[in-house]
Amino acid sequence: MKRPRATIAFVIACSLFATCGVSSASPALGGAVDRPAATSPAFPVSVKSGDGTVRIASRPERILCLSPSATQMLYEIGAGSQVVGVDEYSTWPANAPRTKFSGDETNAEDYLYLKPDLVIFAYPSGTMIQQLQKLKIPVLLLSAATTIANVDSQLAELGTATGHVSGAKNVESSFAADIASAVRTAGGHGRGATYYIELDPTNYYTATSGTFIGAEFSLFGMRDIADGAGHGSEYPQISPEYILKEDPDYVFLADTVCCGANAETFARRPGFGVLNAVHLHHVIGVNDSVASQWGPHTMETFVSLLARVLRQGASS
Amino acid sequence: MAITAAEEAPAVLFGTAPAVAATIYPTRLRLAHVLVGVAFLLVAATLSVLIGPADLPAGGVIKYLLSKLPFVHLHSGLSTTGSIVVWQLRMPRMVLGGLVGAMLAVAGASYQGVFANPLADPYLLGIASGAGAGATIVIVEGPALGHLPQSALPPAAFIGGVIAVAATFALGRARAADRSAASMLLAGVAVSAFFVAVQTFLMQRSSPGDLTLVYGWILGGLSTAGWGQVGLVLPYVAVAAAMLFACRRLLDVLTIGDEEATSVGVRASHVRLVVILAATLGTAAAVSVSGLIGFVGIIVPHTIRLIAGPSYRRIIPLSLLFGAGFLILADIFARTVLSPGEVPLGVVTAFLGAPFFLVVLRQAKRLG
Repeated sequence: MKRPRATIAFVIACSLFATCGVSSASPALGGAVDRPAATSPAFPVSVKSGDGTVRIASRPERILCLSPSATQMLYEIGAGSQVVGVDEYSTWPANAPRTKFSGDETNAEDYLYLKPDLVIFAYPSGTMIQQLQKLKIPVLLLSAATTIANVDSQLAELGTATGHVSGAKNVESSFAADIASAVRTAGGHGRGATYYIELDPTNYYTATSGTFIGAEFSLFGMRDIADGAGHGSEYPQISPEYILKEDPDYVFLADTVCCGANAETFARRPGFGVLNAVHLHHVIGVNDSVASQWGPHTMETFVSLLARVLRQGASS
Repeated sequence: MAITAAEEAPAVLFGTAPAVAATIYPTRLRLAHVLVGVAFLLVAATLSVLIGPADLPAGGVIKYLLSKLPFVHLHSGLSTTGSIVVWQLRMPRMVLGGLVGAMLAVAGASYQGVFANPLADPYLLGIASGAGAGATIVIVEGPALGHLPQSALPPAAFIGGVIAVAATFALGRARAADRSAASMLLAGVAVSAFFVAVQTFLMQRSSPGDLTLVYGWILGGLSTAGWGQVGLVLPYVAVAAAMLFACRRLLDVLTIGDEEATSVGVRASHVRLVVILAATLGTAAAVSVSGLIGFVGIIVPHTIRLIAGPSYRRIIPLSLLFGAGFLILADIFARTVLSPGEVPLGVVTAFLGAPFFLVVLRQAKRLG
C-alpha cells in the first residue's frame, strides 16, 4: 500500500508524538511544464526558511527539491531548468528529474553526487539541515502550508530564492484567479454542507479545517465534521460512531492509493450504509496526495473537482 | 504445599503414566471471585454499549438491546442511525474487545505458567514481531504483491504470528531435545529479533503514510470492529481458551519443575507444546484484528495472582473474565477521553495499566 510521500506525514508529526482526480490521476497530472524564465533579482538574497532566514549568494543552478509541493511551485514559476533532482514522490510535472530520494535521508553525502547549490525540504530530517549547512549548501525549509496565503508566501520565497520573482507573482495571480473561478463555478452550492475527509480507513485519521486541505473546503463555505475533535491536533483520529452521528453530506476518500478505499468499500463498513453521503452518492475517491501536497497544481485541480462535485451534488 | 491428585485433568494427553496429574495449591476457584469477575465484566460491557460520542439515551439503548431477546417486544425510541450505532458499532466493538482481552490475559497467564517466568506475556515467543512483520509486508509491499486489499492484513498478521512461533518452537527444539523452557525463551528472543529486523527494514523503506498505517496497527485498536471480525476470532478464542482452561491444573504441576512434574506422570514438554499451541492460535487471531495491544497479558494475570493466589486453577478462569472486562474498559477510555477523537488502545492499556499494576503491587506488599 504505497502512499505518495506524505499523505499522513502530518499525522505522525501532529498527533503523536494532491494532484487530485476521481480515483485516478487527472489528465493534467503527468503533464510536462516548460515555462519561460522570468527576470532575475540581484543576488545575494535572503529568504525565510522554517523559523529562520537563509542567505543565497548567487542564483542557484542545481536545485535538489525534496518536497513534491515545492517541485510544483518551482516548475510553475519557471525555475524548472535549474532543478537537477526531485524526490521520488514528486509526480508532477512528469519531466521533473525524479530520484530515489525520499527526503528522509540522514546522510548529506547521499546528495552530493548531484552537486546541489540549493536543497529544499518540506520536513527537517534528523541533522540533515545542519550537515548541509556545514557543507556550505543553502537549505530552504518550506513546511506544510495551512492556508492559501501560506502557499502564496512560499511561492514568493521560492521566486526570490531562485531568481524568478516576477514568475512567482504571475503564478500567484493565476492561482488566485483559478481558485476564484472554481468558487464561482460552485455557485454557492456547498455553503453549510458538512464533509469528512478520510486519510486512513483503519484508524479513521482525518484533517480539520485548520489544514491546507481544510482551507480548500472552507473556500466553499463547507464545514468539517472533525473540527473540534482534534484536541490540539489538526489531523485527529475520530471514531466511526462520530462519523455516523455527524452524518456528513460529503465524504472524500484520500486513501484510495494507499489502501484501495472507494465508495463501495466505504458503504460496506459497519453502519456506514445509512450515511446520507452514501445514499446521495457523495462519497468521492481522490488521489491521496490532495491531503499531503499543497502545490498550486494539486490545489487548483482539487478545488476544480470540488466545485464540480458540489454543483453536481446540488442537482442530484 | 500439599500435592493432591487431579480429578479430571487431561493428563492422559501428556503422560504415559495414568492420569496422575497433580495440583500444588490446595486452592479451588472461589465462587466469590467468579461473581466479582462476572460483575466486573457485566459493568464494563454495559458501560461500553451505553457510552459513545453519539450521545444515545441510556434507556433507549437498554430497551433496544432487550428487544433483541426472544419474546421481548419493546419500543426503544432510537432512530435508525441510533440503532445502527448500538448494534453494528458498539456491540461488536464491545464483544471483540472482550474476546481479545480475555485471550491476551489467559494467554499471558498460560505463558507465565508454562515458562515459570513472571515477565512472560502472549508475545514472548515472537507472535508480536511475526504478526507485525506480516502486517507491515501487506501495508508496505501490498502494491508490489498485486495490490493486496486492506482485508489481507488480518490473515497476514495471523500467519506471520504463527510462523514466528513455529520457528521459535523448531529452533528451541533443535537446541534442546527436551524443549526446555530456557531454550524456548532463547529461541523466542532470536526469532523476535529476526522478525523485528524484517519489519524495521520494511518500515525504513516505506513512506510516512505507510509508517502511519504500520504504527496505527502496532498501537492497536478496535475502531473497525464489526460482527464479521467477531465471527472470525470467536472460534479461535473459544477453542484456545477451552484448551488452556483444561490445562489449568497441569500448569500448577509445572510450577514444581519439569523433572518433578515428570515424576508425577506429567510430561512437561507435551504440556508446554499444547499450551503454546493453544495460546499462539488464540493470540494470533486476536492480534490479527486488534493489532498489538500490550500489557494486558501481564497486568491482568498478575493482578489476579496478587488477589486470588498463585494457583492456575484460579488464575486461568479469572483471567478470562477480568481480561475481557479490562480491555472493554480500556477501549471505553480510548474512545471517550478525547471524544470524538480516539486514542490508540495499546497506548491506553499501557498508560492505565502500568500505574494500576504498581498500585496493586504496592498494596499487596503492604498487606503481605
